[in-house]
Formats: sequence, C-alpha cells, structure tokens
Amino acid sequence: MSATVITITSGKGGVGKTTTTANLSASLAACGKKVVAIDADIGLRNLDVVMGLENRIVYDLVNVVEGTCRLRQAMIKDKRVDELYLIPAAQSRDKSALKPEDMIAVVDQLRDEFDFVIIDSPAGIEQGFKNAVAPADRVLIVTTPEVSAVRDADRIIGLIEAEEKGPADLIVNRLRMDMVKRGDMLDTDDVIDILAINLIGIVPDDEHIIVSTNQGRPVALENGSLAGHAFRNIGLRLMGQNVPFLTFEQNESFIKRLANFLMG
Amino acid sequence: MTDRIAIKGTSNGLIITIGSGMWEGLVEELDSQLGAKASFFKGGRVALQVGARQLTRPQLESMGQMLSRHNVTLWAVGSDDISTKEAATQLSLETSVIPPKQRNAPPRVARSNGDSLVTRRTLRSGQVLKHPGNVVIIGDVNPGAEIQAGGDVIIWGRLRGSVHAGTKTGSEAIVCALQLSPMQLRIGEYITRSPADDGSREVIPEIASVQDGHIVAEPWRG
Repeated sequence: MSATVITITSGKGGVGKTTTTANLSASLAACGKKVVAIDADIGLRNLDVVMGLENRIVYDLVNVVEGTCRLRQAMIKDKRVDELYLIPAAQSRDKSALKPEDMIAVVDQLRDEFDFVIIDSPAGIEQGFKNAVAPADRVLIVTTPEVSAVRDADRIIGLIEAEEKGPADLIVNRLRMDMVKRGDMLDTDDVIDILAINLIGIVPDDEHIIVSTNQGRPVALENGSLAGHAFRNIGLRLMGQNVPFLTFEQNESFIKRLANFLMG
Repeated sequence: MTDRIAIKGTSNGLIITIGSGMWEGLVEELDSQLGAKASFFKGGRVALQVGARQLTRPQLESMGQMLSRHNVTLWAVGSDDISTKEAATQLSLETSVIPPKQRNAPPRVARSNGDSLVTRRTLRSGQVLKHPGNVVIIGDVNPGAEIQAGGDVIIWGRLRGSVHAGTKTGSEAIVCALQLSPMQLRIGEYITRSPADDGSREVIPEIASVQDGHIVAEPWRG
C-alpha cells in the first residue's frame, strides 16, 4: 500500500480547512479506506475538536518529532469509523517546533500502512504552511466565494506552483445559491475564472456544519445534510470516481421542478 | 563492444562515451564498430562524452567526418576539459550532452530575449515581475500580481493586477492586453485606475498609452 498524501490549505483563515479535513478523512474512511488525518496547525489545534477526539489526546505530532513517544502512540483511533486515525497538533508549542523535513519523515512512516494521509494546514504562508505542504502529493485549496479568500487562494496557488507541488485542486466552500442568484455572491465560475485550476468540489453553506463541528461529529457521516453529501462526493472524486457536481436547487418547489421537467 | 567505447541509448538519443587510450586508436575502433552496425546508426544523431580528455579542433573535426561517413551526425561533445569545450564550440557543437531544451528550465519559466522578457505563465497574487526591458506575458496577470517593466508590457491574457510600464522609457511606453482591467496602471510617471467594472463592458483587446498627459485605453484594431 502506498498512501496518497493530501494537504488541505487556503491562505486565508476561517474558510473551512479543518472542517474539510475532518469530513474528507471521514468520507474516505467510511468508504473502507485506511486514513490518517494530521493536524499541522501547531499551537492552534482544532481538528481533534471537530472530530470529537479532544479528550483522548495523550501525545501529539511534536512529541513524535522530538522522540518523546512512538508514532503509533500519538495516533488516536476514531470513535465512529474504523481505520480512521488522528495525529493531533501540539497546543502548547508553535510553528517553529516543526521543520518541513520532520513532516516528510513522519509522513513517510505512514505511507506503507495507509491509503490516505490528510494534512490540515494552518492559515498563512509562513513556516506552518511550508511544513504542511512539504510532504504532499496533492494539494487541495479551500476558498469561500469571497474576493479576499480568492485573492489569498491565488497567492497560495502561486506558492504551490513554485514548490512544484501543483497542479492543486480547488474546493469552493460555503456557497449560497440564493445569494449567487441575486448577484450578491461570486459564483463558482467567477472563482474558477480567476484561479484557473481544477475544481474538485462545491460545498454549500449549511447550518448542519456548525452544529456538527460543535458536537465533534463530521457531517459527512450523516445523511440529510447537503454539505455532508458534497464532502462525500469529494471523497469519491479523490478515489478516482467521476461524480457530477450537486446543483443545490433543492429549494425549488415541486411544481416548478415538474414544469422544468415537462418543458425539457 | 569494449569498455573503452560505450554506446548507450538514452532519452536524449545515443551517447558514445570514449574511455582511456590513444585517441587515434579509439577513433579507428569506433569506426569499425559503426561499420559493423551500420543500419542501426544510420541517420542518427549522437553525442560524444569524452570526460577529461583534451582534444583539439582538428581531432574533433576528423571525428565528425568519420561519423558523417557512417551517416551519423555529431551534435554535442561533453567534456570537463576547457580546451575541448572551446574546440567544440568553435565547431558549433553543443558542449553538454543534455539537449538545450531540457537544460533550460521548463518553458513556463521566464526567458530573456534581447531586452524583452517572455513569460509563459499566469502571474498570481503576490508575484512581482521586474524587468529593465519589455515584458511579454502569455497568461493572465491576476489581482494582487505586479509587473514593473522598463519598456512596454504586452499581456496575451487578462490583466487584472497592477502594471508599471516605462520605468525607463517613460511615457512613450504602452501596455496592451486581451482584457485590460488593471487594478492600477502606471506608464512613466502617470497613474490611473480602471473604471469601476459593472460587468457590462465588452471584453476586447485594448492598448493603453499616454496622450496629452493622461493614460488612455483604446480598443485594439489591427
């Protein structure tokens, strides 16, 4: 087995990197893949909270790198999905506790055993970002349909191209179709128009996400949420399947849909 | 085949490595090897790898002639020796057995042509391109990217970042793009912003220049 190492990054903070990491990891594991998620956001760890594993942390990524514990000891098994593990970040340290070589060394130890290694990158373009991207085979860029987030994503894509890690894939997160229709929000096409990279997922804005991150239950593991469905689809695309994008038109009335159907 | 002469097929074509021994003897040996496998070599291009051997121009010339008798073209001589390299250069042969196309960085990377710089990639946010001559971009210039050129700036793509043209040539410089919607445009010491984009403007190639003390953008008509 040789793992695909995927780093989730964005440049701008708060666009949903951690939520994306948790949900993609869970989606892939739910499909029977062996997955380990690594929180590379040293000093501001979150992934454990979103995955609901906070109270199980004994050792962390920095402990592994410093040799305080074995890699195996820092891997926390998920409580819902088999074959899903988390390596948490250290909370009492900062980005300088790791070097890109350390990340490469840790990830190389995991490659033989897992199908996917998913790395949650910190925001920014400094040390933490460099650490997170160093071991990546693929990079997924998360952006929201906002001009500022797109600008930062563009910057990140440039940096990734310079590192020859590209071509990166894009996830447009928190899209609100009602706002797009009113012309109050950038559409996915507008985002692609600037960034010109492959789109691998569109995730709608969804209240379920806030509830599920607070409760530490990735929404991708539950039915009934459109965002969860979108994340599961991204997981399938990462496994090489060709899945059409969701249209998010579920608010249209049945009559209108019927009319559209009859009128072709 | 002896270990004094090694013939190897690589992704860069055939490479003949000449080991130690008397040069004349080795040339004869190669001659007979080529004769024995004439059909294999015929019409091919080869590079010669001679290591630290010191060779004169006549020696390389006679090697080239011998090879061409076998219908083989010599295109490069790889050597660590300076006088051998010079001799090869005088015969307008390459001095590295890796083809020039691969030695230069990939075509996406900037390449300087006289006083013009041609870049075949999109400039993204945060990337700054400075050049004392003209700049040609084949790709977009995204918002947040910046170009500073001594002369003209030509963009075969969409200009949505910032451009300062004519840092040397002044207000004589021009800026043109397939879509001219710069964040900020400077030509010499003049400066302007794009009109607020209401999305209704037709996207056409435009050319900007300084006229009567103002930067003016005009549609491009052949």
